[in-house]
Amino acid sequence: MSRKVKDNLLKAVTYAASAISVIVLASILIYLVDHGLSSINMDLITSNYNAETFNAKVADDYVYSPMEVEDYDGYYSAKWGVAFEDVETVHKTNEISVAYVDSNSPFAHLESLIAGQEGTRQSLENNYVINNLYYNDAEGNQVYLSQGKMESAENLANILENEVTEIVSLNYQSLGGGIKGSIITTLYLILISLTLSLPIGISSAIYLHEYANKNKINSLIRQGIDTLTGIPSIIYGLMGVTVLFPITQLVGATSTSILLGGLTLAIILLPTIIRSTEEALIIVPQSLRDASLSLGATKSQTIFKVVLPCAMNGILTGVLLSIGRVIGESAALVYTTSTVINDYPTILSQGTSLALMIWSIMSGEQPNFELASAISLIILVIVFAINTIVKIIGKHFAKSFS
Amino acid sequence: MVIDKNKVKRNKSWDKFFRYFFMAMALLSSSFIVIIILFVCSKGISPFLPNYEYGQVDFISFLTGTVYRQDQGIYGVGFIVINTILSAFLALLIAFPISVLTALFIAKIAPKKLGAIMQNVVELLASVPSIVYGVFAAGVITEIVKYLASLFGYSTFGGSSLLAVIMLLAIMIFPTLTSLSITAIRSVDPSLEHASLALGATETQTNFKVVLTTAKSGIFAGAILGLGRAYGEATAVAMVAGNKLFGPTFNPFDITRTLTSTMLAGLKETTGLDYDIRFSVGLVLIVIIFVSNFILNFVKKRIGNTV
Amino acid sequence: MEKAFEVKDVNLFYGEKQALKNINLDIYKNKVTAFIGPSGCGKSTFIRCLNRMNDLIEGCKVEGTIIKDGIDIYSSKQDIVDLRTRVGMVFQKPNPFPMSIYDNIAYGPRCQGLKDKKQLDEIVVRSLKQAALYEEVQGNLDASALGLSGGQQQRLCIARCIAMSPEVILMDEPTSALDPISTSKIEDLVLELKKNYTIVIVTHNMQQAARISDITAFFLLGEIVECDKTDIIFSSPNDIRTENYITGRFG
Repeated sequence: MSRKVKDNLLKAVTYAASAISVIVLASILIYLVDHGLSSINMDLITSNYNAETFNAKVADDYVYSPMEVEDYDGYYSAKWGVAFEDVETVHKTNEISVAYVDSNSPFAHLESLIAGQEGTRQSLENNYVINNLYYNDAEGNQVYLSQGKMESAENLANILENEVTEIVSLNYQSLGGGIKGSIITTLYLILISLTLSLPIGISSAIYLHEYANKNKINSLIRQGIDTLTGIPSIIYGLMGVTVLFPITQLVGATSTSILLGGLTLAIILLPTIIRSTEEALIIVPQSLRDASLSLGATKSQTIFKVVLPCAMNGILTGVLLSIGRVIGESAALVYTTSTVINDYPTILSQGTSLALMIWSIMSGEQPNFELASAISLIILVIVFAINTIVKIIGKHFAKSFS
Repeated sequence: MVIDKNKVKRNKSWDKFFRYFFMAMALLSSSFIVIIILFVCSKGISPFLPNYEYGQVDFISFLTGTVYRQDQGIYGVGFIVINTILSAFLALLIAFPISVLTALFIAKIAPKKLGAIMQNVVELLASVPSIVYGVFAAGVITEIVKYLASLFGYSTFGGSSLLAVIMLLAIMIFPTLTSLSITAIRSVDPSLEHASLALGATETQTNFKVVLTTAKSGIFAGAILGLGRAYGEATAVAMVAGNKLFGPTFNPFDITRTLTSTMLAGLKETTGLDYDIRFSVGLVLIVIIFVSNFILNFVKKRIGNTV
Repeated sequence: MEKAFEVKDVNLFYGEKQALKNINLDIYKNKVTAFIGPSGCGKSTFIRCLNRMNDLIEGCKVEGTIIKDGIDIYSSKQDIVDLRTRVGMVFQKPNPFPMSIYDNIAYGPRCQGLKDKKQLDEIVVRSLKQAALYEEVQGNLDASALGLSGGQQQRLCIARCIAMSPEVILMDEPTSALDPISTSKIEDLVLELKKNYTIVIVTHNMQQAARISDITAFFLLGEIVECDKTDIIFSSPNDIRTENYITGRFG
């Protein structure tokens, strides 16, 4: 074989190898968009995951008055001021959901019938589903309308408009399948972990780069921090439940909690923050430190007034990368925040981050690929955006001291 | 200028305070590794001690066992260790050549613009969280495995299999391997390349013969890092492993079980020994990573010296 | 004449390597003292001893005494921060902080705890005027210092130094990174400043030393070969090595 042919063949092999990574990235994106994009909308982001059921009657003090909207585009009962539509839920069932509730509608002035919360005011909301309804017809007979008899959004609107003279009571539920709770949990985790690891990480980096001279102890410190990088995150999870759990108990945690997850993540983030801060400190010219010291500033004044402001970009990079890491982390959290999807998370309650929610819905009996893909897509968009910003900062930063 | 003596004094005490504060924080940061190892060790070893509250577990049969059934209280991780090492190494075997060739392409062969785009692709792949790879594996890789299995006349458990784990891990360690290889290739002394070209070698020959051999130490470092990641990858692997109860698994279309998937399996509803034994499994994982790093670093030094 | 520094038997080591050997020298108040010599001769190293900037370099060890106002500045009695407020320094390359012009000059006084806006304003304006920069940046004090030209930046650094009202200003090759016009401006400035300050300047440029200094010390291989009045050094040096250097036989 001639040299030229051989050369070209080898070159072609590298092209082919590179093509593989493009194919992988493309197929990930295509798969996620194909399965997840249609589920992404405001409802997904703002609603709860778990369906909530309500039992209610029209409030006693409600006085019928004409609806504000007389004609609503869709299956609308102008008499009762409520519109419906046929939807397919994230759980793959077909439901008739509420599309609009007029503010003068009796459905907007309900009182709970559930034992223990009688009289609580509530309202039928968009995207809720009516499970059944008791009403009085024109002859004054009470009629039970089951979900089966509603058939379709159109039919339900017709029954309401033409047959119902008075609404007695109804049972309805929210659809669920939303990710609101997980978004809040993710934000909590970001907040807790960064609040802790930023000061510790930046201080460590300052010590290592500005103070530490080369001796055994300092090289041990550095080695300890470097070794943290190689520990798989699931091991951090184990550490969290043994070492950090007692700490969260001190502030009142009784089980694994978002706080515990945040503490664990704080330790996971340390190497990232230390590294990016240190990289930024390296770029700050020594001459600026000299200038500050020669003006009679103390070392710590020099660090806070000159060095850190100059290293801000690097610290920001560390923060962004950390946010990406928190959003993507799952294994460490399985042990520390539990896999229970919580719609009303608090710092001391259990809950799932977005990534952990994926794990939770995928590891059940019936994996929910659509919802998992939708969340994955959201995570990817955030992570890719962070990646891009970090790159832009990096370029900008390199220029500022050249 | 008038100098406020009190303020200067205060400055000095703050200066001293911060000095010790920064040092304390650095000590704290580095102490976590000790804390992690200490606590995981003590909790992981506890089931093998005679006064363990849920009944002592035999250490030898734990290490060498070929059955892991939490429902019957049989815990043997011997086969799981083999599965873990096997899947990680096979993943490395697949990812390694592709990564090195891609790195060479990006650093040397590709036209500048294409190279930059490819580098972005690699960086994006590196930033994809493992759980997202898990969703991809459960949705796409399992389908590929099912198709391949039907070609060879095998049946699979919904695509969950050793092969799926290997493919997933290969994809996941690819970005790490590639970016470290790129760094290694870029830091090759250009004068070596010039020497090769001056001797009448073509650019491609130079790339494959001089650049890659000179960069091999750095590339090898990437492989060590990638392997570490493959051992420790948890949620994504658990989504396609299938958690076989016995083994080891050598048939690529059969389900398998790794240390991490074992640690995650049925965690929600468990307590007692079945919970504690996960720390023992975690301990085994740490030991494997450290031993494997130690051996490979040793090998790397040998390779580095033979240049 | 009053002495600003009395330097006695100073030896300086970087690890094992000796960079300064038996330096003995007096630096007089309100004079311009220039250090000349080929690169690597130790003149920059020595000037950094005078405000203990060498302390920042790992493995650097200084022996001997440097007496200022009756105290050895290397003794434990001497507070480094206090020393540096009295001995200012201007560096080889202009190194303004990435802040506004105003903040750059107010930096030193602020570090000493001065917060009064009026006083700060006054210091900033006075320093800028003394550094002959005020005319050029007047009304623009909030602009970033990085937007100034190289020569302006160096005069800003001098102004920043003056703002501390130091007794001594050390200048480490202050014009080596500047063009000829900016250089001559700085030289004029030095001649102006010597009325109020003691100035020690390291320079690579013999003409510059001849133009602006009163006393010149010639460094070679870490030793002072000769130190005398500038006109003597440049007209009738004692040592043949000095003569060879200033006539351009080596360097």
